[in-house]
Amino acid sequence: MNKSESLAIVGESGCGKSVTVQSIMKLVPTPPGRFKAGKIIYCGNDITDYGDRQMEKLRGKEMSMIFQDPMTSLNPTMRIGRQICEGIMKHEKISAAEAMKRSVKLLKEVGIHDPEKNVMRYPHMFSGGMRQRAMIAIALACNPKILFADEPTTSLDVTTQAQILEMMNHLKRELKMAIVLITHNLGIVARFAERISVMYAGKIIESGTTDDIFYSPRHPYTWGLLSSVPAVGKKRTEKLSTIKGTPPDLFMPPIGCGFYDRCDYRMKVCKENDPPSREIGDSHWASCWLLDARAPGVKPYVVKRHSGESSCKDVM
Amino acid sequence: MYQTILEVKNLKKYFYISKSQVLKAVDNVNFSIERGKILGMVGESGCGKTTVGRTIMHLYRPDEGEVLFNGIDVHQLNNKKYRQITKKMQMIFQDPYASLDPRKTVGSIIGEGIDIHRLCRTRSERVERIYQMLEMVGLNREHANRFPHEFSGGQRQRIGIARALAVGPEFLVCDEAISALDVSIQAQIINLLIDLQKKLDLTYLFIAHDLSIIRYISDDTIVMYLGTLVEKAETEELFLNPLHPYTIGLLEAVPIADPEYEKSHKHDLLSGEVPSPINPAPGCRFASRCKFAKEICKRERPFLIYAGNGHMVACHMVHSDSW
Repeated sequence: MNKSESLAIVGESGCGKSVTVQSIMKLVPTPPGRFKAGKIIYCGNDITDYGDRQMEKLRGKEMSMIFQDPMTSLNPTMRIGRQICEGIMKHEKISAAEAMKRSVKLLKEVGIHDPEKNVMRYPHMFSGGMRQRAMIAIALACNPKILFADEPTTSLDVTTQAQILEMMNHLKRELKMAIVLITHNLGIVARFAERISVMYAGKIIESGTTDDIFYSPRHPYTWGLLSSVPAVGKKRTEKLSTIKGTPPDLFMPPIGCGFYDRCDYRMKVCKENDPPSREIGDSHWASCWLLDARAPGVKPYVVKRHSGESSCKDVM
Repeated sequence: MYQTILEVKNLKKYFYISKSQVLKAVDNVNFSIERGKILGMVGESGCGKTTVGRTIMHLYRPDEGEVLFNGIDVHQLNNKKYRQITKKMQMIFQDPYASLDPRKTVGSIIGEGIDIHRLCRTRSERVERIYQMLEMVGLNREHANRFPHEFSGGQRQRIGIARALAVGPEFLVCDEAISALDVSIQAQIINLLIDLQKKLDLTYLFIAHDLSIIRYISDDTIVMYLGTLVEKAETEELFLNPLHPYTIGLLEAVPIADPEYEKSHKHDLLSGEVPSPINPAPGCRFASRCKFAKEICKRERPFLIYAGNGHMVACHMVHSDSW
């Protein structure tokens, strides 16, 4: 991630999207979780082995997170104002009164009307959209450099969702914050993200800019994901294309490519060998044996445009 | 055989919270569905979509109005006659985890309706029918002896569909039948519902908040806002030429899976949130968020009126020049 960049992680539920960001924040309980390999590097520092003490300094101040369900992630017994102050007073040496003033300002920033009154209210008095705004205010309290948003709008209505997305876009521009957005809604991705990583069965199988992924995807799973959204103007006389089957059981991860069982283009090699990632463009790469020079050509993926007409693009 | 399978007339459903507080969940809703069609119903949460579905299914008693199924008012029937009607209309619920009894096997969940309506004379006939239902929705015979917790969300929703179809209905209310599922699984269930609709000549009332799904699946669409019906039209017509300011705002809010379109398009978003349906103000329910609202909108409630091209709109401003 670069500064002031927006990355979207997409994939089906159970593919490891949330666990990825939770392990960066060290929110996965260890044990049973443990880091088997790899490194997390934040601003040049390797934070993989940071303990609770060290992480406490980072959480909230350097990186913070918005959770999916605003009802269960806010404390129902505390007033909103105190919940916002908690983080501020942990990281900065300021008085309670001053912190409260900051909370009011934050609530105003995230678009809650009448912030002086609402700062004294409890979460149950808020609507779903307001709770999510309050949670964003808590996450922003100490001006973090990275914001992880784990399905922030899934439980909200479309009109509220649009307002929250608009606000997050605004934050990114104004505060130069890097935002990692986890979602399975491709529409949100198209509206919000600059870069996309597609996850499947615990691995990132394709990554690139938003245009790369939407207009020249290379992995069969990405094709499937993109075409399972009904195209505009398509009626029910035409069948929706689906990805058959269900994701693999990660208690017994498959030896070869995780997508083998569900892939329409599978080859002999895929079953036993995990595909290496291959670079396609500057920032675009995918892990699929179809990209190997020895692979047979396949039918090109048809890019969907909103205007209704589909353009055929040669991707292979 | 009636061409109009279901007709909802002046339906009102109020919930009395206290002496002075009335929650008007459904307030004067009118629509009808023709046999073999799919009617989509959209709106934000709390707008009364589910209440309409449940009142149709006789799970709620309406405060006023009629629900005519094949010309018969469902709410005027005695228990025995009503039971015969339930054979003809069934419901698929939103949450595939909460709507299946965890202590029953899949076979007995599907068999329950068959037993109640005494559809099978012998045991083997009953078992055969259960197997047939399972296979129809894309599951296996062996699944009949398993329990719901052994299945994934998509498979559970298939069980819910098999249960609804076991009694041989003509009409299904699909209440957010796919919104709890993953994208790729959603597409599988939608394909299944469409196949079954063609094969069994079913009629659906398809309730959803996902507009792209509604656009894909339904013939006609109705839009609800805070217990009232604000617009009704043929689906493509509604999506291409929305007339009610709320419908326009709703369509604007939906993100489209095409980055270039999203970048080039300026979004005109609705401000505020859906107000509380408790003791609503007189006049148009949308007036508090509407940028075209005039004096009359706060005073008088607009009725659904014909606005050309098969459009029905409840808005004072649609016919005036100021719009």
